[in-house]
Amino acid sequence: MLKKYKPFLRAGAMDTLSYRFNILIWAVITVFQVACLVFLWLAVYRSSAGGMDAEIHGFTFREMIAYVVLTTVFNYVTFNNDTLWNINNDIRKGTIGNYLIKPISYRGKFAATSFGSLLTMTLLFGIPFYAAALLTLGGLGFLPDLSFPAFFVHLGLFLVAGLFASLLNDVIAYIFGVFCFYTTASWGLNSLKETLISFLSGTLLPLAFFPAGLRKVVSWMPFAGMSQNPVLILMMKYDLAESLRCLALTGAWIVALELFAKLLFSHAIRKVTVQGG
Amino acid sequence: MIEVNELTKVFRKPVRGEGLSGMVKTLFSRKYEETRAVDGINFTVPDGEIVGYIGANGAGKSTTIKMMCGILTPTSGSVTIDGLEPYRKRRQVAQNIGVVFGQKTQLWWDIPLIESFKVLKEIYQISDTDYAERMDFLGEVLDVTRFLSQPVRTLSLGERMRADLAASMIHNPRILFLDEPTIGLDVLVKEKIRRAIHALNRTYGTTVVLTTHDMTDIEDLCSRIILLEKGKILYDGALKSLKNRFGNLKTLTLTVPAEIRAETAPPLSPELTLSEEEGRLVLRFDADRLALEEVIQYAFRELRAMDMKLAEISVGDVVKTILSQQEAAHAEKI
Repeated sequence: MLKKYKPFLRAGAMDTLSYRFNILIWAVITVFQVACLVFLWLAVYRSSAGGMDAEIHGFTFREMIAYVVLTTVFNYVTFNNDTLWNINNDIRKGTIGNYLIKPISYRGKFAATSFGSLLTMTLLFGIPFYAAALLTLGGLGFLPDLSFPAFFVHLGLFLVAGLFASLLNDVIAYIFGVFCFYTTASWGLNSLKETLISFLSGTLLPLAFFPAGLRKVVSWMPFAGMSQNPVLILMMKYDLAESLRCLALTGAWIVALELFAKLLFSHAIRKVTVQGG
Repeated sequence: MIEVNELTKVFRKPVRGEGLSGMVKTLFSRKYEETRAVDGINFTVPDGEIVGYIGANGAGKSTTIKMMCGILTPTSGSVTIDGLEPYRKRRQVAQNIGVVFGQKTQLWWDIPLIESFKVLKEIYQISDTDYAERMDFLGEVLDVTRFLSQPVRTLSLGERMRADLAASMIHNPRILFLDEPTIGLDVLVKEKIRRAIHALNRTYGTTVVLTTHDMTDIEDLCSRIILLEKGKILYDGALKSLKNRFGNLKTLTLTVPAEIRAETAPPLSPELTLSEEEGRLVLRFDADRLALEEVIQYAFRELRAMDMKLAEISVGDVVKTILSQQEAAHAEKI
């Protein structure tokens, strides 16, 4: 059954490959963003009561820098996704009909494409970037002492978390994409999605910095599994039990959101009015 | 087998006010305009039949096709394809049908044609032997082999349409829906496409539902036609009986001296209508009521015909007549 989706996986992998120069340019921009964040945190820690040795919400300055660098690399490798735009295009141009007349699931097509893209990104950029980040951070003593056999367990869990994050990101993009059936405000939907994710996933700020009440709510939401949790698993800030708990929560969210996406799509599809004819 | 039962599709679209004030009003109160694109139609297509589905633009042909292949969900009524409703069991039905929308391609624009076929092979899970056999058959009847290695965007319209047709047949569908497969094509390509549809129908017993505005397509291919107007079926039956619906109509086209005009020519009988078309005189009459011999003599004696061509009425003429009668009846009601 899954073999049907192989061409889409391949297409995702190859498309990503053909955008490699865009991706490289984006990498350069990202380096500047990271530099800004480093200076920002430097200022925060310097002016804090404990000075540079302070621990703010469980993060030392060095851990914070490691966190910033690793979440940036993580987002960069994991979230390479055009699902929302592609759905919007299919609806506006009427090309959605081409997929509806084929014996494949529309959702499955996007999941396969995104997975293909994730594979290319991980092999082409992920491995060198993670290696460079980890070696640099480790060499500067910015990583907490990684005790080695245990680190490999965490690395394994991190890879699973990365896959989960990518799936979660894709199903969320898909849900927002399917909303394009009801509204033409695709640009607004995309901004809403991006903002929600970057705020609630801990990319802008670790969730530990949120007020206690909000933190509690957000910790049960799916977003932390998209950025903060995978990185904290890799940094071994989470012990094994906490890591597994995070993965279980994210897994449950993926299942729930996939179900929701299925229901939403079967409702939306009744609203399709393919252009022309 | 296709069964269509009281099928209805109502499109509901918001009515936008004009100008800025209209736009602001639309924000708060929405009025909807309803169009009954397909209005309670019934028909059955048995296996192996080629049906022509015809009607004016906007009659609801494409909407019906889209409901039959699972893209649109009916507002009420039902369609079943071999017992399954395509909009409920979309993926199952999709495995057994092929669809071509002449207006747009389903092929991947930027990749060589052969790659599109390979993708379809995987999507439909076609075995290697079946695939090879189909490619042979399609290569022959549609002549696509020559441009298999070209990206689809570089193909001419005729090549692209043949490629699209081949793509829709690659998984050996039991039913083929063709929505204007000959639109914008030259006579030779049309001919090739018709031959391919015939060959497919004969070799594999494929059921074909075809919409077209080209009456030659209909006369060449279809044993049965369904005529649709404003979402309702006006005629459903054999092509022959549609032609005979208006009696044994014939047209006699004459080349006559310039001074003979339709208005001034001495009339023969009220059964005969005269008109001028492209500098020629056209006589239309029902051969069951007015003897052909009489008309021909009249043409030579009274109209001084120098040349003549006798033809049976074409399907196009019949359809034109039905549609204009319909319009006239509609106008009377108002």
